[in-house]
Amino acid sequence: MASTACFIIVSRNDIPIYEAEVGSALKKEEAAHQHQFILNAALDIVQDIAWNTSAMFLKAVDRFNDLVVFFQEVHELYIKILLNPLYLPGSRITSSHFDTKVRGLARKYL
Amino acid sequence: MEDYAEELRTPPVTLIYLVGCPDLHPTISSYLHSEQPPINTLALPDFSKISILGRTQKETVDSGQHGGILKRDWLLKHRTKVPAVVAALFSSDQVSGDPAQWLQVCTDLENLKIVVRGRNIKLVVVLVQSTDKDEVSEDRMIALRKRAEIDSKYLIFFIHNDASELTESLNRLGGALAELANLYYRDEGRRIKTRIEKKNFNHIELNIRYCFKVAVYAEFRRDWVEALRFYEDAYRALREMVGTSTRLPPIQRLVEIKIVAEILHFKMSTLLLHGGKVVEAVVWFQQHIVSYKTLVGAPEVVFLHWDWMSRQFLVFAELLETSAAAIPNTSSLILGSSERLLSEWEFHPAYYYELAAHYMREKRYCLEVALSPSETLKRIESSSESVIQYVFVGQFARLLEQGEAFVMQTLTDAEYVHYALAEGKRFQDSYEIIALLKKSFESYGNLKARRMASYCGSQMAREYFTLGEFSNAKSLFDGVASLYRKEGWITLLWEVLGYLRECSRRLGSVKDFIEYSLEMAALPISSVAESSSCKGEYGPAGSPALPQREMIHKEVFGLVKGEPILTSDEGNCNLAITDDQPLHLEIDLVSPLRVVLLASVAFHDQVVKPGVPISLTLSLLSQLPHPVEIDQLEIQFNQSECNFIITSAPKETVGASSVGETDTRLDSVPNLNLVTNKWLRLTFDIISEQSGKLECLSVIAKLGPYLTICCRAESPASMDDLPLWKYEDLVQTFPTRDPALAFSGQKVVQVEEPDPQVDLVLDATGPAFVGERFLVPVTVTSKGHAIYSGELKINLVDARGGGLVSPREAEPFSMDSHHVELLGISEPDGESEFQAGMDNIKKIQQSFGLLPIPFIKLGDSWCCKLEIKWNRPKPIMLYVSLGYLPNSEAGAQTVNVHKSLQIEGKTAVAMGHRLMLPYRRHPLLLSKIQVASESDHSPSLALNETNILIVSAKNCSEVPLRLMSMSIEMNDDEIGHSCTVQQGGDSPLDNARLVPGEEFKQVFSIIPQLSFPKLAMGTVSLRWSREFGFEEQSCSSLTATKVLTCYKLPDVNVEMVPLIVSLECPPHAVLGSPFTFYVKIQNETVLLQEFKHSLGDSQSFVLSGIHNDTIFVLPKSQHILGYKLVPLVSGLLQLPRVTVTSLRYSAELQPSLSASTIFVFPCKPQFMVDDMGSKLPEPIAT
Repeated sequence: MASTACFIIVSRNDIPIYEAEVGSALKKEEAAHQHQFILNAALDIVQDIAWNTSAMFLKAVDRFNDLVVFFQEVHELYIKILLNPLYLPGSRITSSHFDTKVRGLARKYL
Repeated sequence: MEDYAEELRTPPVTLIYLVGCPDLHPTISSYLHSEQPPINTLALPDFSKISILGRTQKETVDSGQHGGILKRDWLLKHRTKVPAVVAALFSSDQVSGDPAQWLQVCTDLENLKIVVRGRNIKLVVVLVQSTDKDEVSEDRMIALRKRAEIDSKYLIFFIHNDASELTESLNRLGGALAELANLYYRDEGRRIKTRIEKKNFNHIELNIRYCFKVAVYAEFRRDWVEALRFYEDAYRALREMVGTSTRLPPIQRLVEIKIVAEILHFKMSTLLLHGGKVVEAVVWFQQHIVSYKTLVGAPEVVFLHWDWMSRQFLVFAELLETSAAAIPNTSSLILGSSERLLSEWEFHPAYYYELAAHYMREKRYCLEVALSPSETLKRIESSSESVIQYVFVGQFARLLEQGEAFVMQTLTDAEYVHYALAEGKRFQDSYEIIALLKKSFESYGNLKARRMASYCGSQMAREYFTLGEFSNAKSLFDGVASLYRKEGWITLLWEVLGYLRECSRRLGSVKDFIEYSLEMAALPISSVAESSSCKGEYGPAGSPALPQREMIHKEVFGLVKGEPILTSDEGNCNLAITDDQPLHLEIDLVSPLRVVLLASVAFHDQVVKPGVPISLTLSLLSQLPHPVEIDQLEIQFNQSECNFIITSAPKETVGASSVGETDTRLDSVPNLNLVTNKWLRLTFDIISEQSGKLECLSVIAKLGPYLTICCRAESPASMDDLPLWKYEDLVQTFPTRDPALAFSGQKVVQVEEPDPQVDLVLDATGPAFVGERFLVPVTVTSKGHAIYSGELKINLVDARGGGLVSPREAEPFSMDSHHVELLGISEPDGESEFQAGMDNIKKIQQSFGLLPIPFIKLGDSWCCKLEIKWNRPKPIMLYVSLGYLPNSEAGAQTVNVHKSLQIEGKTAVAMGHRLMLPYRRHPLLLSKIQVASESDHSPSLALNETNILIVSAKNCSEVPLRLMSMSIEMNDDEIGHSCTVQQGGDSPLDNARLVPGEEFKQVFSIIPQLSFPKLAMGTVSLRWSREFGFEEQSCSSLTATKVLTCYKLPDVNVEMVPLIVSLECPPHAVLGSPFTFYVKIQNETVLLQEFKHSLGDSQSFVLSGIHNDTIFVLPKSQHILGYKLVPLVSGLLQLPRVTVTSLRYSAELQPSLSASTIFVFPCKPQFMVDDMGSKLPEPIAT
């Protein structure tokens, strides 16, 4: 299945701070931002799990083992962004370096 | 689910026939139907109708073929036509009647048997008797049984005339019928099962059909486990058929398989869900979908596949919903399934509804593709009409008319495709999709999954949008937009707003169109972040990028300037703002349009005097991509006379200020251009004449000739960030030039009152005394203002904080709870009557007073006195405030003057008392000996003895007081005349003046007349008044008020006295001349008392008499010891000490030092010789 992946980092206030769509193009009949709509809806499940567990790591991933490396690497990148004194936590990540790195990781692991 | 036939949806119910005795049929049918499990009955009135049970010709022919998997009417046949049992009812007279009747019975039975045996249907013979009595002969019975070839227990007597017998008969019949029905279905099932086991079939279709039949028979028997097993077998066999069967043309083959699979899966799901096995049902459903999802089929009928998929999800969702009551808590279910983690949504119908909608959309898309070659459409029209469903489930055939008869003809695949396309065209898929999404939307809404619901809502709205139902779409999109707005998903918000904007354009709603457009134009979308991720088809919003925002901005401001926009692509209806319908937008604190125009207003100061100008900074901010030119700004305050208008007309400045129809002030500034994310700051001076709060309410901006935007003013100190722009990279600037003002500026300023020009004077002389009505004169003098409708407010507050009632002391003094109270206000005599005429309210409470004061002319003054009474010594603060109007005009503002004064409350008179025994007389008080250790017992008095009470009153104030009277008052409730009190001394008080620090003493003699352990002596009442000096009295009109101070005397213990020792000697002696000194010992008891007495020596006297002795005193008698003394020295001398000891009470009686002194004159004083004789005994007695 030629899949596309959409990766979004959501801040604590449910605001998306980073978005990347990787993979092949969407099917023609699908509306634009279909993935974002779906991801927004998926936050309900995340919220549910987040309320049920005290762990930081929710692990509610379908293909956990395939994706765990990707997520770890992205997390590392995100921490680097956070360490930037000019970055206001919770604001949009606009760094092009971050973007390139994430896309590279996505090609590698997804 | 409603598409399925009734027989599929409900579990099958046993069917039986009733033949004969038609009048009993209703009773029996209703009874059987209410049984558990219920039994359906088909009643045949007489035996001639029995032939309908026989097999028809067609059936026998068809049964030989294997044209399909399941026959369409097989299940229905078993539920409505083929009975499990036939019950033949014969009345007893028929059986026991004449030979002709018996013959008839036999023939009927024969006919019945022939029909029944062909199908293995069971038979029950019922003998109907009206009562228990009418017996049928044994022979006939046996004959009947033999004829019918039945077991004896299936020959049932039915007695219908007696109620209890009837119930029993019904029970018997029901039991037998249920048993036989069960037997029948078991036999049938077993018969077919053996065929399966022996693999006695040529085609796999037959295997499936047999499994299905066995399962249905098991269902008849309510053996759910077996039913489920065989349905599963059938399902598996069917799945194997997919690649192997060659019977039908390929397209129809797949259609048939899928439809049968659907039925089988539906049955299984129903059974699992009704058994409460939700997890199994969900897992089965997933397997079902996985195994059929890829069987898409031929490309021209792909839509059929998606239709089928959609139906699977819909049916499962409905099943889940109907059995929702049976489902236990879902969270436990998730934990329970270990092999594969099911997410919580998979237990909720909402999820399945949503997917059903998804596949339905897929179907619609495929159908559109399939229908697009237009020539196919036309061809289908003609050929599709006569196609009907074939005898087998999932097969279709053409009905051809051949003369009288109809003949079914199978279809080729091409014909079937045409038929399917024509059928597909008939349905309105969009409404179906909307209905599905709506269910999902509501269901998610109930689960509080707002985001999922929003997702469904937005899909639903998009469907409405494509259908052209814009108002429906708009209301749904509105709900969705509010969520995305709140969560800050800007791209999604952009998309939804694009739809909303388009909807309002099509609906011709200018206001909405402008609002949505403005919001979109001001969204924080930067072209950089979005450029890479845009794929797929955009909605009406277009790509989320800066150029698009700019385009929208231009479009909306074009509209504002009067360039109309077409409402629809082809229509000629215009969207325009016109002269007669000017547009007004409101932006409040929560409006999403705050990003379009944000108004912050800050006064430069917090308080201002009336009439003094204060600076005000108005700052405007907009996030629109292009500069906005504002024509006119109107700033509104709560004091409407302060409102003013700003225009940006630098050329015709003179014209602006002279516009004078309204009083509104006009200002003009050179530039009212709002640049993106740059505060436009304007500073003005405001003058308010009215005291109170001056608040800036709103700023109304006029853009173009017809559009006004009313923006609620916000204080920079409490202003929220723009929600969506908060985390964007942009230059943060302050709304005011002064950063401090940006953090503290308020849109409210307090305008102070005008300065009062009235004097309020409180005079109070000295401290106040407890009990006194203390007068505080209040003088109001008008200096610059005449006083209209003035009002004095008086408040008494404890100076040390806390109330006038201290909590600790509140309880015992709950009656007079206020320590200090305002008693009244006395006004000058002349005006008080005038005051009474006016019905002004004068309120006086204990610590609060309200007093209206009359009109006072400029320069006049007015005075009144406050009467305050202290109940306790306590300092208080007296607050007096005067509120008045400086003139009598309507809009005059109250001016307030406040004054306060601290007044000490003091106790003026300190009272004390002393109890004394009579001089040189010592009664023995037993209580003193017994409880000597206790310190706090009340003083004891001797009964019938004269006791002396000295009451003292000391002036502890700083002013002289005048005493008027002092007396002891007995309370009535105490035992009357328990003691007599006499006032000692001859002279009354005659207004004794008591200077500060002086003490006044009054002597009373008390003779207790009752022996009582707690005798109240009464209360001392002291009446006094403040003594004013001569000057004070003359200059102020203060009059001395009489004050009563009460002093409660303690209770005393009165007791009988057994012994009294008294000394008797002359009041004075003369040097060298002898005198006699007696010691009298009186025994008041009825016993003989023994005493020891001794006399000490003294160098000042020569004495004669017994020094030491023991004496006995008889009851109620007196013993006198006499001593002769000659003083040797003059002056105040100590008499020799006499000690008397009572042996019985072991008490020593010794006169006190003061009692045993005597003054010795050096020689006989001449001047008092005459008085001496008469006065001698008196002073001792008092």
